[in-house]
Amino acid sequence: MPELTMEELRARIAAAGLKIPEHRLAMMKKLLGDALAPLSRVDSRTVRPLEPAVTFDAKGPHLGVRHE
Amino acid sequence: MSEALHYTTIRELGAAYRKREVSPVEVTRALLARIEKLDPALHAFVTLTPERALADAKAAEDALRKGDARPLLGIPIGHKDIYLTRGIRSTGGSALFADWIPEDESTVVRQWAEAGSIMMGKLITHEFAFGLQFPGHRFPAARNPWNQDHIPGGSSSGSGAALSAGFLHGATGSDTGGSIRGPAAFCGITGLKPTYGRCSRAGVMTLSWTLDHTGPMARTAEDCAYLLQPIAGHDTADPASSTAAVDDYVKALGGSVRGLRIGVPRNYFFEDADADLVRAFEGALGVLRSLGAEVRDITIPSIDLSRSFFLILAAEAFAYHEHDLRTKPELYGEVLRERIMTGALVTASEYVQAQRIRMQVCADVAEVMKSVDVLATPTTPKPATPFKVAYDPELAFPRTNMPPFNLTGQPTLALPCGFSTSGLPVSMQLSGRAFEEATVLRLGHAYQKATDWHTRRPPV
Repeated sequence: MPELTMEELRARIAAAGLKIPEHRLAMMKKLLGDALAPLSRVDSRTVRPLEPAVTFDAKGPHLGVRHE
Repeated sequence: MSEALHYTTIRELGAAYRKREVSPVEVTRALLARIEKLDPALHAFVTLTPERALADAKAAEDALRKGDARPLLGIPIGHKDIYLTRGIRSTGGSALFADWIPEDESTVVRQWAEAGSIMMGKLITHEFAFGLQFPGHRFPAARNPWNQDHIPGGSSSGSGAALSAGFLHGATGSDTGGSIRGPAAFCGITGLKPTYGRCSRAGVMTLSWTLDHTGPMARTAEDCAYLLQPIAGHDTADPASSTAAVDDYVKALGGSVRGLRIGVPRNYFFEDADADLVRAFEGALGVLRSLGAEVRDITIPSIDLSRSFFLILAAEAFAYHEHDLRTKPELYGEVLRERIMTGALVTASEYVQAQRIRMQVCADVAEVMKSVDVLATPTTPKPATPFKVAYDPELAFPRTNMPPFNLTGQPTLALPCGFSTSGLPVSMQLSGRAFEEATVLRLGHAYQKATDWHTRRPPV
């Protein structure tokens, strides 16, 4: 995934039907660009497919064996 | 009332009541006078409720006379203003709800009331728990009691400032990306983000459904244990609420920490950290070692990927706010409006990938926590941000060390561990396994028995 450009940002804003003041675009580009960066570093097909939200049962399955 | 009682612990205040050294009404009147004197500069409260506080205090006095032993009886508390309070305005720190008086009440508000606490009022929050109020906003931003030119952290800004200034003895916070732990760090107090699902979010304004946590803020780990006890447990009104068994958090404080295995992730958490902050953190590790804990360096392979956290937060926040943002954008604060709108720019596949990456982070942390009991990290890489920096509209979202534990949902305690060279508090965070709040509270309590950082007071 290439780095987010200002043109790509403007295209996304248009697609979302939003009006954003010009002087806020740099902030939005940084916010979105920084957050998107990890996605480009991962082959998502190698990530184990788990449910899309963190959940716990009493045994805490995502965080190993419960410490007694 | 002596100055010391403004800053006494919950256990000490309860003991003073039962020895008849002081009464809840006396304490409440003294705190109201202190708030009236100091809060015009600090802006911790958005709505003060003196009549309610005095009525609660009178009820507590009556109960004490009858031998009521509830530990929170007569303890002055306040609520972050995203917690709904029946009959008392609940603004969310926003012009959108500036005059809203809800008919409902959040579960946690009810639970602390039923525990006999005294509600002093509602505490300012960053707007919708996400955006610092800029100059000209309907509500002024809270200021840091340690240095009023600095922010108190957010979004539980009023909670942090009020506890630091000695206005009350406990407060609610919420934590989506560090909103309990950040103000705890910047204000020199103690805050616990419990496990995801441990405390109810029913009746609390949403920021991000899969990242939001509710929890207690106080001045000590021991106080957090007292405050957590009545709000831990299942609530059918919160779909994410857990049915996991609830520990006795106060009783657990007495246990030893000898042999407890503490892992220090040396990747990610020290990036851009100030040298004096790292020095304070390493000193804290030395104290933990001296208490008998085994401290070792570890690595969490995927932790760097947690930067994608913002995709989840922003997309969910936009989903929650979209209608109002599109129809009444002028009622949202400067910068916050565009910050939330960033969520509209996240594609569906990017959101899904961010959630899948989150699971990778959870799996890696789970693997690490097979060999350690607690993770210790600096809460923030820098002390409290100056307002002049925070008000820079180009500042997107300052990097902190807290979001990874919103992704994993682990219980995390932030507590003071020293001061910067500029005299501002710095903090470490202790993260345990899911539902092991008792372990991090026990370790935090042991640390605070061996140190005095949590007893330092700001120059208000």
